[in-house]
Amino acid sequence: MNDMARVERRVGTKNAKITARDVQVHYGDTHAIKDVNVEIGDKTVTAFIGPSGCGKSTFLRCLNRMNDTIDACRVRGDILLDGEDIYDKRVDPVQLRAKVGMVFQKPNPFPKSIYDNVAYGPRIHGLARNKPELDEIVEKSLRRAAIWNEVKDRLDAPGTGLSGGQQQRLCIARAVATEPEVLLMDEPCSALDPIATAQVEELIDELRQRYSVVIVTHSMQQAARVSQKTAFFHLGNLVEFGETGQIFTNPQDPRTESYITGRIG
Amino acid sequence: MSEQHIASAFDRELESIQAHIMKMGGLVEEAIGASAKALETRDEELALKVRADDKAIDALEEVIDEEAARLIALRAPTAIDLRLVLSVLKVAGNLERIGDYAKNIAKRNTVLITVPPVNDSAAALRRMAREVELMLKDALDSYIQRDAELAADVIERDREVDQMYNALFREFLTFMAEEPRSITSCMHLHFIAKNIERMGDHVTSIAEQVVYLVTGERPEESRPKADTTSLTA
Repeated sequence: MNDMARVERRVGTKNAKITARDVQVHYGDTHAIKDVNVEIGDKTVTAFIGPSGCGKSTFLRCLNRMNDTIDACRVRGDILLDGEDIYDKRVDPVQLRAKVGMVFQKPNPFPKSIYDNVAYGPRIHGLARNKPELDEIVEKSLRRAAIWNEVKDRLDAPGTGLSGGQQQRLCIARAVATEPEVLLMDEPCSALDPIATAQVEELIDELRQRYSVVIVTHSMQQAARVSQKTAFFHLGNLVEFGETGQIFTNPQDPRTESYITGRIG
Repeated sequence: MSEQHIASAFDRELESIQAHIMKMGGLVEEAIGASAKALETRDEELALKVRADDKAIDALEEVIDEEAARLIALRAPTAIDLRLVLSVLKVAGNLERIGDYAKNIAKRNTVLITVPPVNDSAAALRRMAREVELMLKDALDSYIQRDAELAADVIERDREVDQMYNALFREFLTFMAEEPRSITSCMHLHFIAKNIERMGDHVTSIAEQVVYLVTGERPEESRPKADTTSLTA
């Protein structure tokens, strides 16, 4: 326990990649996120847990301005990426999302070839000067997503023809192809079987060497397995944020305790 | 945490495992009292009963171990539930050891009733055992009532047991030096004193589990160490 705590503390001392200050989100009249303050560490996996409708996905979507696309949604407060306000007028959301990638609950490959799925981001952001460079990015991304060996002989086949677990890893390859600094994952394993889940979790742990990963999950066991930090959301409030080991052995807030032990809270 | 789990079977399993701990604790309290009584009253029959009854204590530990393994595998307990299962495993281990010490006292009784008593040492040992028995009762009460203060009090009381042991240790040394024919008795009586002192340490460990269970923190200072006989020349 002490050793575990020490490892986690070391992770925790890394600089904050994302800082949220007094973040409020309204959907029309609904106050979805209330005064959330949190620092998300670099090269750390942070899990957001909480019951349905608690605001964890909403907050995740604030981190790469996905909520901009929803008209009724208003975001107040500051969200800083490396100290820069991502809601500043000069920030281009498309450029921001190249830095802050996202993987969704349901695998959503483009109706294109496996190759084009991964090459899409690098192409629009002009990350490759020629075909060999693009080939290299595609291979590197597919390898990083632990799916290269399964698809290297059929890069021209449609991405939608892969199995669910493969599609999700393809989406992760697509997300990492633009060399993001932060990877947001919204329930990335809820549509996957246990083997594919284990592969994605292994991948998340590898991605942590390079990126800051934020994962929303309904599986408490998954949060416990993959994250170093856990944030518990309830009714739009960030109730508790701490080392994952501490949250799961000795949570400080009774609401966290009720939720993670499966009691009616 | 008085709220119930959404999965009510989980609550029933946690209750069952704690009921087994309390049952085991009751048998162990009895074994301590009976072994000390058999010693003072030179009652061989009672000593034999203590030895036979230890099997039931051992069997309960196995039941508890199996229930705990099952709970961990099937329920993946967290937070207070995790601490409960971990503490149950350790407490069952402590109780089993205390039971073994009581059995060992009962075994030595078979030899001791064949030799003359050494002063009133059997009565002193019974008083010491009584103190440990009361500590165990309070430790188990603190466990079931989730009372970390009572548990801390039990931890503190182990000091008295250690001091009783120190006094008996010196007394037996003196007897043996003065009367070599008392060596056989004194050796056995000393082991009995040591057994009771160790029982106190196991009770203290149970009380420490209660503090961990309730607060999530290990007790700041571990148990008082007042047994100084290792340094006695």
